[in-house]
Amino acid sequence: MGAININNVGKIYPNGTRALEDVNIEINDGEFVVLVGPSGCGKTTLLRMVAGLEDITEGEISIADKVVNEIAPKDRDIAMVFQNYALYPHMSVYDNMAFSLKLRKLPKDEIDQKVKDAAKTLEIDELLERKPKALSGGQRQRVAMGRAIVRNPQAFLMDEPLSNLDAKLRVQMRAELGQLHSQLETTTLYVTHDQVEAMTMGDRVAVIRKGVLQQIDTPREIYLYPKNIFVAGFIGSPAMNFVYADIKTSAKGTTLIFGNDKISAKDAPEALKEYEGKEIVLGIRPEAFEDSVYANKKEFTEEINIDVSLLEQLGSDTYIHFFKDIKPVQTEAIEEILADEGEDISVLGTQTKFIARINPNATIEEGQNINLAIDPTKLHYFDPETGMAIT
Amino acid sequence: MEISKFTNWFKEYGWRHLVGLMFVTFAIYPILFVLTNSFADFANLTNSKLIPNSLTLKHYKLLSGDPLVPYFQWLYNTYKVAFLAALFNVFLGTLAAFAFSRLQFRGRRAGLLTLVIVQMFPSFLAFVAIYLLFFQISDVAPFMGLGTHFGLILVYLGGSIGFNSWLIKGFMDTISPSLDEAAKVDGASEYQIFSKIIAPLSRPILVVIFVITFIGIYSDFILAAIFLKDKNLWTVAVGINTVFVDDFNADWGVIAASSVIAATPIAVLFIFFQKQITGGLTAGSVKG
Repeated sequence: MGAININNVGKIYPNGTRALEDVNIEINDGEFVVLVGPSGCGKTTLLRMVAGLEDITEGEISIADKVVNEIAPKDRDIAMVFQNYALYPHMSVYDNMAFSLKLRKLPKDEIDQKVKDAAKTLEIDELLERKPKALSGGQRQRVAMGRAIVRNPQAFLMDEPLSNLDAKLRVQMRAELGQLHSQLETTTLYVTHDQVEAMTMGDRVAVIRKGVLQQIDTPREIYLYPKNIFVAGFIGSPAMNFVYADIKTSAKGTTLIFGNDKISAKDAPEALKEYEGKEIVLGIRPEAFEDSVYANKKEFTEEINIDVSLLEQLGSDTYIHFFKDIKPVQTEAIEEILADEGEDISVLGTQTKFIARINPNATIEEGQNINLAIDPTKLHYFDPETGMAIT
Repeated sequence: MEISKFTNWFKEYGWRHLVGLMFVTFAIYPILFVLTNSFADFANLTNSKLIPNSLTLKHYKLLSGDPLVPYFQWLYNTYKVAFLAALFNVFLGTLAAFAFSRLQFRGRRAGLLTLVIVQMFPSFLAFVAIYLLFFQISDVAPFMGLGTHFGLILVYLGGSIGFNSWLIKGFMDTISPSLDEAAKVDGASEYQIFSKIIAPLSRPILVVIFVITFIGIYSDFILAAIFLKDKNLWTVAVGINTVFVDDFNADWGVIAASSVIAATPIAVLFIFFQKQITGGLTAGSVKG
């Protein structure tokens, strides 16, 4: 097993389009790193460059301390799992899994042993004689995994392997993949579009936007300390709320003013003082709100008054939607996140929309006017010009 | 009550049977006609009928016994030429199709376009040129010149590979390129991707192309007639036409008998590959 080093890697297609720019990622031996970002951000291109299916136009990629820029995919000792599984339809499950071993001219009994072991690990030993056509989606997914693990390669490269499964199965396979990884401890580079997958599976998550690496860190760090508006808005579901706020500093501390509401910032970064009298983008995660009746007053020290416009009761959580008469935050990053969801900037309308996650026991009705508590230590501050976090 | 029930049935289903029956009659009649006439003792076409008054095996005897009519030699020649030409056709067409479908090279588009444009000219236009070409080849390489089976096979190949490559390429384009990539990562070379993945998956279309080419060549008369001079090298179509047809007379009984003998293996071939042929014709329309 081996580490993967991606050094100053860039990709320019022959037609001049730039897909990646100066990407640096070091994946340690045995680590599970997830590349996440909106469609067309270059994450799959990067994975394919590691696999050797795309040329590396700039920089250097090495696998297990060996530079692979000029090495053919078959000699890189990696295994790849494709989005559509790419099982060979004319071969049985057994032959699908044995294919790479046969090409390497391994002795027959060794191949047999390896295939059967892998099949056992994945619980597909009953299916070895079947053709891919006769398998369900989840079984095909397992066979695709089997084809990868049978070779015991330096690294696994996975390109949205769960995206063709239905929601329930995806959750199950997500857990199984995680389990498999802790069992095999093979270095894994995993591409996904689904930020929940990224958060739950990765040892570290790399967020990519327009071919540029935005941030790479553990899921928790990324969630708690996003480096810019894009990462903050892309990671987390429901997404972080953004609102323009004015900064006022006094001897007592910093006050944030948005619309008719004023809250005092606690543990605000020093740099925030430089924005005195200026507008910043304030980010509030849904869980930084709480119904004031249920709020722990020690943490949720601030309050704002709102009119509930929509109530979503999920059982375990309740989400409330409300609007403030403030011009919505429209930055390029937010536009891009919306576009990825098939929306455009016009859905923002003329008011700023908020979503708050509150205690499911709260007895609130739509249209009601309530006080909503805020935990000011969980606020995020961004520069409206650069989109970078103010720290 | 009973009548309206029948009318309803007829409106719903019955008319389809009627139409089907018409087509079947239409298709079967000539076959039946040839079959019965091969046993009939008629002098010519004008006094022949579907069901003859008396039966005879004399036409078959003539074909199998007469030393002046090496019918089974012709039959063998026909099979040999058709089989080899169809086989090389499929083989070379598949290689060309793989290159056009999967590989990137300079002149790929131009090559594809040339194939189509050249195919648009009917091959009859080229007869004189082909004749002259092989006439000269005969001087240099007699084994593949005028009057040889090898030469004839080459002519057949030239006439159909282009079009067939297009058909096969179209089929290969529907095979997901991620299979190639999976094989590449698995360690396959370009040739192994072709031989172990793409070619086996193209089998339905390859079978169709083989059968269509085979039958096309099997029933060809003009090219073979121009090309082949030696009686022992003739194909069935050339032999029968030369020996049994003259300006004023044609021995229809012998022609019918020879048709029956020649057509039977083809019919068997069709029945054998029926599933693959229909499968190949519709394959690619729905991605599986």
